[in-house]
Amino acid sequence: MSLAWTMVRHRFAAFAGTFVAIALGVALIAGAGTLFASSQPQVSERYEHSPVLVHSPSVGKGSDGYDDYRAWTPSEARALAVRLEQVPGVRAAVPDPSFYIQRVINGRATGDAEAAKAQGHAWSSVALGGYRTIMGAAPEKAGEVALRGVAPGSRVEVLTARGPETWTVTATVDAPGFFVADDEAQARAGGVRVIGLTGNPQAAVVRSVAGADGLVFAGGERTKLEEESVSRIRWLGAQLIIAMVVLGVFVAVFVVASTCALGAAQRRREIGLLRAIGATPGQVVRLMYAETVVVAVLGGAVGVPLGALVAPLLAPPLVDAGLEPAGFAVTAQPLVLTAAFLTGMLVALAGVWTAAHRSSRVPALDALRDAAVERRAMTVPRWIIGLLTAAGGAALTIALPSIPAMQQTTAALGAAMLLLVAAALLAPVVIVPLVRVVTWPWRRAATGMLVREGTLTGVRRVASTAAPVLLTVGFATLLTGTIATIEQATRIDETAKIPAAMIAAPDGTPGLSEAAVTRQPGDAPLVSDVLLTVGGKTLSYQATGKQGLRGVELSKDLTGRPAQVEVGFADGSTVRLPVTGTHDGPAELVDLPRGVLRQHNPDALTESVLLDGPAVAAAGMKVLTVRQYVDARIGVEGRIIDLFLIVLITLTVGYTGLAVANTLLMATAGRRAEFRALRLAGGGTGDVLRVTTGEALLSVAVGTVLGGGVATAALAGMKRATEHELKQVVDLVVPWGQTLTVVLACAVIAVVAAGAPVLRRQQAT
Amino acid sequence: MWRAPTDAKLDGMTITSMKTAVELRAVSKIYGTGAGAVTALDAVDVAIAPASFTAIMGPSGSGKSTLLHCAAGLDRATSGDVVIDGVPIGGLSERSLTRLRRERVGFVFQAFNLIPALTAEQNVVLPQRLARRKPQPGAVRAMLAEVGLADRATHRPSELSGGQQQRVAIARALVSRPAVLFADEPTGALDTSASRDVLRLLRLAVDRHAQTVVMVTHDPYAAAHADRVILLKDGRIADHLSGPADAAEIAVRMTRLEQR
Ligand SMILES: Nc1ncnc2c1ncn2[C@@H]1O[C@H](COP(=O)(O)OP(=O)(O)OP(=O)(O)O)[C@@H](O)[C@H]1O
Ligand SMILES: [Mg+2]
Repeated sequence: MSLAWTMVRHRFAAFAGTFVAIALGVALIAGAGTLFASSQPQVSERYEHSPVLVHSPSVGKGSDGYDDYRAWTPSEARALAVRLEQVPGVRAAVPDPSFYIQRVINGRATGDAEAAKAQGHAWSSVALGGYRTIMGAAPEKAGEVALRGVAPGSRVEVLTARGPETWTVTATVDAPGFFVADDEAQARAGGVRVIGLTGNPQAAVVRSVAGADGLVFAGGERTKLEEESVSRIRWLGAQLIIAMVVLGVFVAVFVVASTCALGAAQRRREIGLLRAIGATPGQVVRLMYAETVVVAVLGGAVGVPLGALVAPLLAPPLVDAGLEPAGFAVTAQPLVLTAAFLTGMLVALAGVWTAAHRSSRVPALDALRDAAVERRAMTVPRWIIGLLTAAGGAALTIALPSIPAMQQTTAALGAAMLLLVAAALLAPVVIVPLVRVVTWPWRRAATGMLVREGTLTGVRRVASTAAPVLLTVGFATLLTGTIATIEQATRIDETAKIPAAMIAAPDGTPGLSEAAVTRQPGDAPLVSDVLLTVGGKTLSYQATGKQGLRGVELSKDLTGRPAQVEVGFADGSTVRLPVTGTHDGPAELVDLPRGVLRQHNPDALTESVLLDGPAVAAAGMKVLTVRQYVDARIGVEGRIIDLFLIVLITLTVGYTGLAVANTLLMATAGRRAEFRALRLAGGGTGDVLRVTTGEALLSVAVGTVLGGGVATAALAGMKRATEHELKQVVDLVVPWGQTLTVVLACAVIAVVAAGAPVLRRQQAT
Repeated sequence: MWRAPTDAKLDGMTITSMKTAVELRAVSKIYGTGAGAVTALDAVDVAIAPASFTAIMGPSGSGKSTLLHCAAGLDRATSGDVVIDGVPIGGLSERSLTRLRRERVGFVFQAFNLIPALTAEQNVVLPQRLARRKPQPGAVRAMLAEVGLADRATHRPSELSGGQQQRVAIARALVSRPAVLFADEPTGALDTSASRDVLRLLRLAVDRHAQTVVMVTHDPYAAAHADRVILLKDGRIADHLSGPADAAEIAVRMTRLEQR
């Protein structure tokens, strides 16, 4: 171990690439992990003073693995609340219905549209959060409301599922949301899902009293009842963090592996000497592992604090981007930091693994050979793995049309990844002919000749510079290309599906109110979740209320269609309805008569209206062409996807830069003798720089050509798959701009990294 | 000048039954296969007696280095047997062979003998550290003093001259008291006075510590320090001199060999 320490100290430059890769990787994992671990479900502040919550019963787990719940009818809820109030320690049992409401200011609906779906509450629920009335009196009848920040007596305009309304503020409270009289809230919400208990009851007693009528959540368990809109935001954030960590670990292993491979090649002679004077192959492996552990410990020591310090700075931007809920705060996560440190160690050991085992097979005789004699670039394992991945990628591409439509694009991406890895592994084979072709015009100039011959003899060096460029260019082109192409295809597909020219769409609201809809000419589907009992199994379905239906229509994908089904609604009631037909959509959708759905869910909203006549203006509604409507819908998802893309590509380019810079720094440093000879032959620093620059650019060009080629081929395959899926022609969108940016970034890094050691040497002498 | 013992038994070429430090029996080494195959050693028999100093000479490409590598267990012979200190190495695994090397064989190469990251002293103890043996207290310093580098113990190779580096390498090779020390052109990169120091040290090791030394060299003057000179040509033993041979005589034999 002390030998390893001495080695690392003496030739730190050779380990710098590993060090930086590990430090950054650990920082990434520590920072992202801290954010991830900090983002825990919170007990809603509305339930802060309610130590025990009772939720309506579950009907079992749905296909997504989460519980589906039925609602209580208002009378069920009241009856249960009365029973619960008998439990010792309970001060009050408060049913907590919630409904859609948004404030309208200057004719526009305000606030977050998704969160607005549950902004309306019953006045008595104020007690659950321990909120205070600042002034005024409780709302008692329809048209009265208590609100934060508005003085009693003011009139406020709001939008509810019924339509625009003007209410009188009776009280100012320091609580979020809109509080109306209890009966009023109940009427608007339909059913009830939560009864909050104040006081200090024992959960076990509450549980026995509630029995099968409700689920009891006490203390920390209450976080399970996090609002859906908050869960969704945190879920999105978690996706980004997971993607970053996975990609970060993958590229870190890659960078460490290529650094170690190059370092081991440069140290061949030293390792031969060690072997000659008595180091067993096992000792060589252990030495290299020990060196890497030393570097990883140093990297971790830098990375952990870096990540821990940066994480809190990222919280506000994440909240702004809609990837963490408002009020998100980063907390100290010592466990995550430890895990990040250990992961850094594992990443380093995984990276050095091949290099160490290859080095252990270095014969002792290599101590006597002149170093830096280029070994064969293509090793047997490299051939085998390269050809296997290539075959796998090709097979997947060919099989693409026969793969189920849902998995086609994923399969296409997988195939492309395999092909990219294959291209990186097999690159040395094509580098020689490729370099010949590219440098043909300059073969007579001195620099051209040197670059040409240098690259042709240093195939391995070129390959290790080109490989990260290849992966990044390929990855960036492919990812952005795939998403752009799919977006384009979806746009065309959705537009074609809509049988109207103009659409009345929500404007800053989660849906259209009944008042807005009744005035519009055209079909106005109402949306709501319902519980459907089919074949003895009760599950949650997305219901669409359509005019002109007389019974339930199930998906034609659903086998064993019954004559009648039981439908459980948001108001807690269950109604037996006849099945009258089928629809073409997926199995989890169900169509119902609009009137029935409205009757049992007063809070349901309409998604949009396909206009077949001139629209009438209404609050929270705008009229769009089909094209605009589809664009807007894609745009919402697109914004998040773009953010993901930018983060992931930046990350990849960053690590590529590191890999390229490191390879070239080490390679140039290892070629001192060669450049000295060039100087002796009468070349100046300018000539040396021209050679290093030429070679660096050549490597980047090779990587770009290969990566771009594979990506374009894969994109073409994906286009075919999409066309097959949508049964119409799809335009291939190639993201030239992004690709060019990535290539330029790689080129700049490569030129600087290759030239820097030359200039430094120049200064030193 | 040192006088060689006249005891005929030391001429191990003919008497192989006695204990030898290293013995090669019908060793051949063929590089490559088919039309491009090169026979670097052609059924060579050599026996090196303990506490002797043997020089191996011959024209360039005659197989000197190959002989040394095979005899030292750095490389494996294509056919024939190599016995180091009584152990036939043919059947040994890479691991056991490495162990044997670090316990019974020392090396001095023409150049690049030392690990650049380690000091002179650390380089000298390295084989023992690799063997997980505790170096005897003072032994390393004493050995460095013997090669005249007591004051350079903490210097790194880059801070030492070529001759000093070779002396550190000799100290490293000797400190574990190997059965045999192999040197491949140890003076090849040195000037006359540095060469003389190195040769004197090797001679001293034989005389004072009964160390067995086998040295490849081009230089008749260097070979004159040996008890015995083996001349190779085309992978075969073409000639040999034993007893006191002076440089002039060796040079004459060499020239004759090259002209034949
Ligand atoms: N690794 C190898 N592969 C192929 N041929 C080799 C190899 N090593 C040596 N040879 C060949 O074997 C023969 C003997 O080589 P060797 O190195 O033993 O010669 P040498 O006597 O040490 O020469 P020199 O005095 O030049 O060092 C030569 O013809 C050489 O070309
Ligand atoms: Mg030689």
